[in-house]
Amino acid sequence: MRFQDAARDARAVVYAGIQADPLVATCAGLLAAASAQQRVLARAVMNGETTVSDGWRIAFPGLFGTAAVSAGPAERARSDAILAAALAVAARGEQVRSQVRGAIVEALTERLLMRRVDPAALHRERRILFDGVAAEIHPYDVTVERPGSAEAYDCKWGARGIGADVLNQLDDARRHAAEEGQRLLVALVIFDARRSCEVRLARQSASREGVRLVSLESLDRLAGTRPSQSAALEAAR
Amino acid sequence: MAATIPELMERTIVALEILAQTAEPIDDEQQYVRDLVLVWSVRLRTVGSERATQAGAAELDDAIDWIAAEAARVTDPHRAIDWLSTLPQVALHAVGESSA
Repeated sequence: MRFQDAARDARAVVYAGIQADPLVATCAGLLAAASAQQRVLARAVMNGETTVSDGWRIAFPGLFGTAAVSAGPAERARSDAILAAALAVAARGEQVRSQVRGAIVEALTERLLMRRVDPAALHRERRILFDGVAAEIHPYDVTVERPGSAEAYDCKWGARGIGADVLNQLDDARRHAAEEGQRLLVALVIFDARRSCEVRLARQSASREGVRLVSLESLDRLAGTRPSQSAALEAAR
Repeated sequence: MAATIPELMERTIVALEILAQTAEPIDDEQQYVRDLVLVWSVRLRTVGSERATQAGAAELDDAIDWIAAEAARVTDPHRAIDWLSTLPQVALHAVGESSA
């Protein structure tokens, strides 16, 4: 099993520009430290029609209402910053917004993995090659390249992005690695609710047996920690 | 008088059904759309029945009304499919439940 940079074709060059957008790094940094509810805020705003903040503050009383007071000023400041960054994404045109959202999920995945993995082992846009097997054209969004415990992640903004092609590619890679006597953890990272992901997966004919699912609620597991439970959410109950 | 939690959850389900209508032009995704509406409606009604006697605060009323109005503003069918998953997550967090 070998890792290789993806070809620098036109798509890759254009997408590299999106990945390098400072807004992507800003959002990923904020979301890496966010609670589940703050991540839902980001998802809603970046998906939304309304590009001014007032309504979103009404929609999230657990972050901006009376219940949020007990969470403290730091959490409130983080919610404000996430709202502002998400609105900046939403203000982009539809096509750019979509590309930026995808890049944010990839950058967030990388940031969370960085808490558990030596940054030198982390890579983006890599192909995985196996002896005697035709290489997949589509690169993996994030890889952890360590002898004996490699990992490959495909990142999607929403559950609708789950399809047979990505499931097959991940499962094939895992099986080919096993055939070479190597361990390759493969996972989908979906910035959407697990419930919606399970709905999507239930209708897929492709094998998902060896493919792990990391959903919006469990993103912190990438960092080797338990899913965060928002203090604001608890306070709202 | 503020709405009860079951009433807020039912309002969310009505908004989900409107989103499903907006998503109708995407023929290939109609099964997924129906599945999303079904699964999330069950989750929302479960929360409603578990908190059947609980009145929501006025700000919860406002939150659900605003998010339902936001969902109604969606006219693009692809975005409507994204919102079929997003809307219930926002509604559940608004009433202090996790989206899991």
